[in-house]
Amino acid sequence: MGETILVAENICKSFGITKAVRDVSMTFARGEIHGLIGENGSGKSTFVSMLCGIHSIDSGRFLLNGEELHVKNQVEANDKGVSIIVQEMGTLSGLTVAENIFLGREDRFVKYGIKNTTAMNREAARLLDKYGFGHIDAAAMIDHYHFEDRKLIEIVKATYFDPQIVVIDETTTALSQNGREELYKHMKRIRDEGKTIIFISHDLTEVIEFTDNISVLRDGSYIDTVKSSDASEDELKRLMVGREIASKYYRTDYGEPVSGETVLSVQGVSVPERINGISFELYKGEILGFGGLSECGMHEVGKAIFGASYDRTGSVTLADGTKIDSIPTAIRHSIAYASKDRDNESIIIYDSIRDNIILPSINDLAEKRILRKKKLNEFANRYAKLISVKMTGVDQFVSNLSGGNKQKVVLARWIGRDSDIIVLDSPTRGIDVKVKADIYALMSELKAKGKSIIMISEEIQELLGMCDRIIIMKNGVINGEFKRDERLSEEDLIAKMV
Amino acid sequence: MTEKTIVEEKITLMKVKHILSNSRLRDLLPLFGLIIIVAVFAVMTDMSIIEARSINLILSQVYVLMIASTGVFLVMTIGGLDFSQGSILGISSIVISYLSFYSIPLAVIAGILAGALIGACNGFFHVKFKIPSFIVTICTMYLFRGLCAYMTTDAPVAAKITITELNLTWLKISLTVAVLLIVYFIFTFTKLGTCLKAIGAGETAARFSGIRTNLTKFLIFTAAGAITGFAAFLNVIKVGSITATAGNQLETMILIALVLGGLPISGGARVRFSNIVIGTLIYCVLNNGLVMLGYDTAIQQFIKGTIFLIVVALTIDKKSLHIIK
Repeated sequence: MGETILVAENICKSFGITKAVRDVSMTFARGEIHGLIGENGSGKSTFVSMLCGIHSIDSGRFLLNGEELHVKNQVEANDKGVSIIVQEMGTLSGLTVAENIFLGREDRFVKYGIKNTTAMNREAARLLDKYGFGHIDAAAMIDHYHFEDRKLIEIVKATYFDPQIVVIDETTTALSQNGREELYKHMKRIRDEGKTIIFISHDLTEVIEFTDNISVLRDGSYIDTVKSSDASEDELKRLMVGREIASKYYRTDYGEPVSGETVLSVQGVSVPERINGISFELYKGEILGFGGLSECGMHEVGKAIFGASYDRTGSVTLADGTKIDSIPTAIRHSIAYASKDRDNESIIIYDSIRDNIILPSINDLAEKRILRKKKLNEFANRYAKLISVKMTGVDQFVSNLSGGNKQKVVLARWIGRDSDIIVLDSPTRGIDVKVKADIYALMSELKAKGKSIIMISEEIQELLGMCDRIIIMKNGVINGEFKRDERLSEEDLIAKMV
Repeated sequence: MTEKTIVEEKITLMKVKHILSNSRLRDLLPLFGLIIIVAVFAVMTDMSIIEARSINLILSQVYVLMIASTGVFLVMTIGGLDFSQGSILGISSIVISYLSFYSIPLAVIAGILAGALIGACNGFFHVKFKIPSFIVTICTMYLFRGLCAYMTTDAPVAAKITITELNLTWLKISLTVAVLLIVYFIFTFTKLGTCLKAIGAGETAARFSGIRTNLTKFLIFTAAGAITGFAAFLNVIKVGSITATAGNQLETMILIALVLGGLPISGGARVRFSNIVIGTLIYCVLNNGLVMLGYDTAIQQFIKGTIFLIVVALTIDKKSLHIIK
């Protein structure tokens, strides 16, 4: 490695009781692209957020060129020569492209208290041209541009002032191939100018190809740094997960017949502007997958089955003829639903684990309408422990739990309800590998007990790995159906999605 | 070495914050507040505030406030606010006074129904048109205050003269305790309490948990109105005739009392039933203490406002503020 530019010393950060970053120490060299990888929740984003002043540091310190770097916000970080392109949208709507690029540094264009907009636009246009993004108009409102262009604008914003350290946090997922090429080109240019890039990505191929060194974080702790030229994807995966990923991650059975007994029949279900004329049957003991692009309407299908959609038409009928048209009816007849929007819909985060687990079963737990606290505690404890929710007790508020644990509480409440039809929308979204594996195992177990599961997911691998049948949706209608098959590939499904 | 001490200090500070925010201590704070405020006034008034005469006076102000607070407590648990309580008390008092000439039980029932009707009106507009509850209830407050004023334009509405014979301490205490016990039982031992807290903590998720949120909200506003309608009976037996100012400012008194009692202003899972009792006691002691110390009304309001602001600022949970409906 070359000359050290940035040192992290014993950096720690907690959110409530969750330790997001634990005692991380590492060094970054001048003139390198340094990859930072790890599972979701491993602390990568939190780590760089502290570097850039987005989060405060609990303890430990950063040394930039041997001097302690302690910044309170991004503008201050920029002044010290550290900038970041964030994972989410980093540009502000309602401002022009130029205003976004020079956000927090408008002083350059201010004379006698008046901002010289023309000069600002001219300078922005010059920069955009220099970066090769000439198709973007500096004076236009940023809202005219779609996500990808806005990311390109962020690249300019984060790098035009020649910072010494540029953090690129999970940006490539938002970019098309062209956009990625642009980003790689500028990453290389910045490195060749002797600056340092910290590059966070989930795409290991990309990380290996475009970085010089790769550091791995796991559960908030620093694990190791390897040279990219020596690294293999498998080795990195092993470092990230801490154990060999068994191929038994998903189900391994193929060709086992599914019962022909219909438990749920969905006929001509439509929700205005979301889904149109959806019909399918769900069988006993089946895991039925729904896939498609994010906006294809599949998420609304889950809500519609649960009686949670507004203005739904068509029918959702159980085997015994019961029509499901409201949430209480759905729950009474043993339908469970875990929403993609976990914090707002699946679970009441500012309430206790106990209350969250008992709520769907509250009518059964009452004896002559009277609830006994002891019984409620026992019930909540039993199911929280059954699927090993990490908690200090059932009185703990859900808001303090990690994403994976929140999802476990969601599952605990429905398993406690002994639901027969379980609709899981994006059950593993933002969840680390270990809990993911737990959830897959749980699904297999439920299937074995004869429960039926509908899994809606944006992860094709997961659909292929877990489902007996996969329905692909496009623009609010069903566009294809696949039976479980070892030879089924991602491409087959994608072809029906787009 | 110094750095280590700083870190250690930070950790201790975090621990203290943690204890304050999570443990039972937080639940006990209002009780300490009550004890301290009684102690302070006892010293400042040369113990006269804890003489039987003063206690009687304080109690006489507690009943109506405590009963009406019970209803608003339910509304605030779901994250709502209700500013129409004063006007409900006014209207119900007028109804009870009119009907007291025919039959007292009938008058009480009619008073409760009148309150329930106004509460239902609040609930209907809040739920059906999705108007935040504080806006709806400010509107109904003006509406029914106006009606109150209209009905008392020529002369105060007098109740049957003998009704004040019912102004007996034991009767008022037992009615207040009865209301508290009934609501306490329902709130603690039926699913209603859990459901109300869930709605306050996160309405969408509560709906997805199978709670009929709209119906529950409507019923709770109705219940709050009905409970204050009942409180109007105690008001009538105390004052005997109703003027335009009946129930004036009751809504703010309730709000201040509940918040002083430790009720989070955004409701949710952290509410405690004891908030009602302790809060109204604190409020009444504070009120009487200030009177006994001889402050004039303007100064009293100034002090109460200041205390309210300080308590809210100290206890507010920024994270759950968006929940206020």
